[in-house]
Amino acid sequence: MVRLRTEPVAIVAAGVVTPLGDVDAFWSGLVTGTDAISRIERFPVDDLRVGLGGEIKKLKRERRGGCRASQLLFAAADDLLARAHLDAAPRRVGVVLGTALGGVEEGERALAGDPSARRTAAALYDGPAHALARRLGCRGPALTVSTACASGATSLGVAADLLRADAADLVVAGGYDILCRFVMRGFDALRSLTRDRVRPFDRRRSGLLLGEGAALVLMARDRDARRRIGRLLGHASAGDGTHVAAPDPEGRGLASAIRIALAEAEVGPEDVDFVSAHGTATPLNDRIETAVLKRVLGARAGLIPMNSIKGALGHTMGAAATLEAIMCLLASREGVVPHTVGLEERDPECDLDYVTTAPRAARPRVSLSTSLGFGGCNAALVLEGDAR
Amino acid sequence: MTGSEVAAVGVVTGWGRSAVALPPDAVRAAAGRRVIAVEPPRAAGERFRRATRECQLGVAAVEALLREASLGPEAIRGDETALVYVTAAAYGSSNRAFIRAIASSTLHFPYTAPSAVPAEVAIEFGLTGPYVILIGGAAATIDGLWQATLLLRRGQCRRALVLAVETFAECEDLWARGRWLVRPPLVESAACALVVPGPWRATYAPAPAPSPLEALARARAGETLACAPLIALALARAAGDAGPVTLTGEWRGRRAGLAWEAH
Repeated sequence: MVRLRTEPVAIVAAGVVTPLGDVDAFWSGLVTGTDAISRIERFPVDDLRVGLGGEIKKLKRERRGGCRASQLLFAAADDLLARAHLDAAPRRVGVVLGTALGGVEEGERALAGDPSARRTAAALYDGPAHALARRLGCRGPALTVSTACASGATSLGVAADLLRADAADLVVAGGYDILCRFVMRGFDALRSLTRDRVRPFDRRRSGLLLGEGAALVLMARDRDARRRIGRLLGHASAGDGTHVAAPDPEGRGLASAIRIALAEAEVGPEDVDFVSAHGTATPLNDRIETAVLKRVLGARAGLIPMNSIKGALGHTMGAAATLEAIMCLLASREGVVPHTVGLEERDPECDLDYVTTAPRAARPRVSLSTSLGFGGCNAALVLEGDAR
Repeated sequence: MTGSEVAAVGVVTGWGRSAVALPPDAVRAAAGRRVIAVEPPRAAGERFRRATRECQLGVAAVEALLREASLGPEAIRGDETALVYVTAAAYGSSNRAFIRAIASSTLHFPYTAPSAVPAEVAIEFGLTGPYVILIGGAAATIDGLWQATLLLRRGQCRRALVLAVETFAECEDLWARGRWLVRPPLVESAACALVVPGPWRATYAPAPAPSPLEALARARAGETLACAPLIALALARAAGDAGPVTLTGEWRGRRAGLAWEAH
């Protein structure tokens, strides 16, 4: 197949809410190796095997009304709008959000007896995206992507498509998900949650812990952007077609997504300076991801610094890939790659250059970020930092 | 620039197993029933032991597409076929079951994710190409069809399946609360379009008003949310119109449009 190069898209600014805080606190927490995992307090967890997670204990400003997912999005939008303006006609500003869970907590409340139509509508997985669009006054396309835990990567790709097609002049894109009983019960039942700490790529890794957050970026056509923190050069997604919950043992979908994203970006393995891995710390994911990166990047794989930020934050599901993309761009700007919190003893099967123990001085220009999710969803982003 | 066209559409609804089965007037045919349910044929095999009704409907829609196109499953197998899945709410019943702990076993949880439906379809038909999942009603399906044309244009695939599934029966009481979102009869549906390289240029833009096809699909099928644009395509093709076509779809106040026109 003949593949066409796609025009890079500018990432103008970022805004987040995480267990570590806003963008500044997120970055300083990552480089200081802060572990944001704590006992979950917002809902009962005593009946679960594991009651730990990356919970946001307090939002700076809680708004009346709106579900928690919307509250997180509003907080991330506050952070974003403190750094950039939506200077385009409202009908030319789009919103594209990724989520694994949408407004599912509202569904729990609706089924628990809250009969309001508002609650029912908010339970739909695209409810929070529409709530954010209303809050920001964006009247352009409002899309919700749900490629499970790869959603925050796919959403940036879809946003870039809207800009390239001139369907919008600006797009607020990203991902979000909340910690709630629904998802904690689910992962608890799957025995995916660790009772230890999250240890990506570590010999002793025994599972993930969940986190919550919202991550937004403001995107514009590169030629229109007066300033930027980086560019999205390439994006691709691919399905495994092997299992509803587990990744393909050979990682074929992930390999395909990485290859297509690199081709779209017109960069080769030799151009990649940094890899932000999905790195959930499940025995299967980290081994498969390592093998795929070695296969696709060849000899270069072992020379590229790599990390996973899930040891610090937990797996923030729909927010994860956008947070990781933002981390890549901040690493380029600041000249520092955060280390992988929780990684202490190398797994012989995970033998790449993971940044451990302390942040590493490096200024990656081109970063590759990988994501996987339930349903055989895989996504890859190729990003270029805008170094100071 | 690579153009595209819709080569075939498979449709399964509460009215029957093809677009031809749609009544002339869905409201009249419903005779006061709020939900017109569909029971998909159960796919055989141990692998489908835990598959939800939505997953079964997704598989049934792709099988209907293959019949319509006179293709075997090998024609779509592999990494050159993209899968774009759209639904407004076909995760509702599995979410409800999980919340109510009717089915809270270990393996049920992954089926609460919208991605479970395209996953089962991808497994069944061996689809390993580009993969996009959008949440929303008919406007999201327009977005999904547009995504399919982009994937073709960029050479990321040789063909794209745009699949939509909607179920209502298990959450009928919740839909009754959201009357401003939907208008009965709510007709359970699954539909799949095969988009391939072709002569037409696809133009994607907001639509100020419903296209004649949107209105026709609404009148004939009833409320089918994300399935509506695909049903509209099937109706156009059933009427012998496989050429340039203008589709629109509305959801939560946004109406999107996609026109396949001559270059």
